[in-house]
Amino acid sequence: MPLIRRAGATRGRGGFQVRWLDALIVALSAALFLYLAVSVYGSPPSSVLVITSGEHEWIYQLTQEREIDVPGLIGMSVIGIHDGAAHIDDSPCANRTCVASQPISRAGEWAACLPNGVFIRIEGEEHIDEIDATVR
Amino acid sequence: MRSTRPYARPTFADGGRRLAAFLAALAFFLSTVEYMLPRPVPFMRLGLANLPLLIAVDLLPFGSYIALALVKVVGMSVLTGSLFSYVALFSLAGTLASALVMRGLRAVAGPRSLSYVGLCVAGAVSSNLAQVALARVFVFGDSARFMAPAFVGLGLVSGLALGAFTQAFASKSAWLAGVLAPPVVADASAGGQA
Repeated sequence: MPLIRRAGATRGRGGFQVRWLDALIVALSAALFLYLAVSVYGSPPSSVLVITSGEHEWIYQLTQEREIDVPGLIGMSVIGIHDGAAHIDDSPCANRTCVASQPISRAGEWAACLPNGVFIRIEGEEHIDEIDATVR
Repeated sequence: MRSTRPYARPTFADGGRRLAAFLAALAFFLSTVEYMLPRPVPFMRLGLANLPLLIAVDLLPFGSYIALALVKVVGMSVLTGSLFSYVALFSLAGTLASALVMRGLRAVAGPRSLSYVGLCVAGAVSSNLAQVALARVFVFGDSARFMAPAFVGLGLVSGLALGAFTQAFASKSAWLAGVLAPPVVADASAGGQA
């Protein structure tokens, strides 16, 4: 079977028409997106940074400037808090996608380093009540 | 839709192995192209390398189709240098989920009720959901739920873009038309194929 072939006979059929299952799938995906977005971002604004690595979880206020060394699967990730936003400043991973990500500051925002297993996110006020102590 | 194409897949003397190899090579090439493109959001990918897999839904027998999906995962992992890290598992889970969902959808709905657009959105969203699920179980725990909206949203957008492109490609490609309906030389069919 030749892979390159000229078949002029069936070229250039007409425009695209949306099929009903296309519409259903797109609508379901959009509905799923909205549901997830509301459930994650629908929390009140502000203000603590939650860092997860393996079984451990650390919580920091965003109000204080600091650099945090977080041990991960392959080394130390450095998380910086500057101007009320958190950012992965350095990472031992190869592609460093996490270092390229935007700083996070609002509830629901997150960044992650998959190779090092480090996840950072901002949680809203309602969750702070559950915290016994925060590091200052 | 006035698709001249019947739903039945073409048959191949070699079980589609040669076509699968060609599509795998195309997937490698498109992975490389994708790797060179700047990404607006760090985790966002257009998923160009899924184009061959998407086309293969209607072309290859099941065995060759899954083989193509697996070869694509290995090829992409080699390109990004993640082959022997567990990051490759995410790629594998995503690709298999999307491959099976797309094939499953095509098994219940032909091109008349489901185009490449719906197929591709379903594949992209299920791929990303599989990766979030894997991240939840193995890496980030409950925090992974924060990734879900972005992943589903990006899957929807990239699925729409790639699906629309594939639909346009499929309706215009002389190569694809040739694969789907090879000219028959037998005397019995004195049809329009010249």
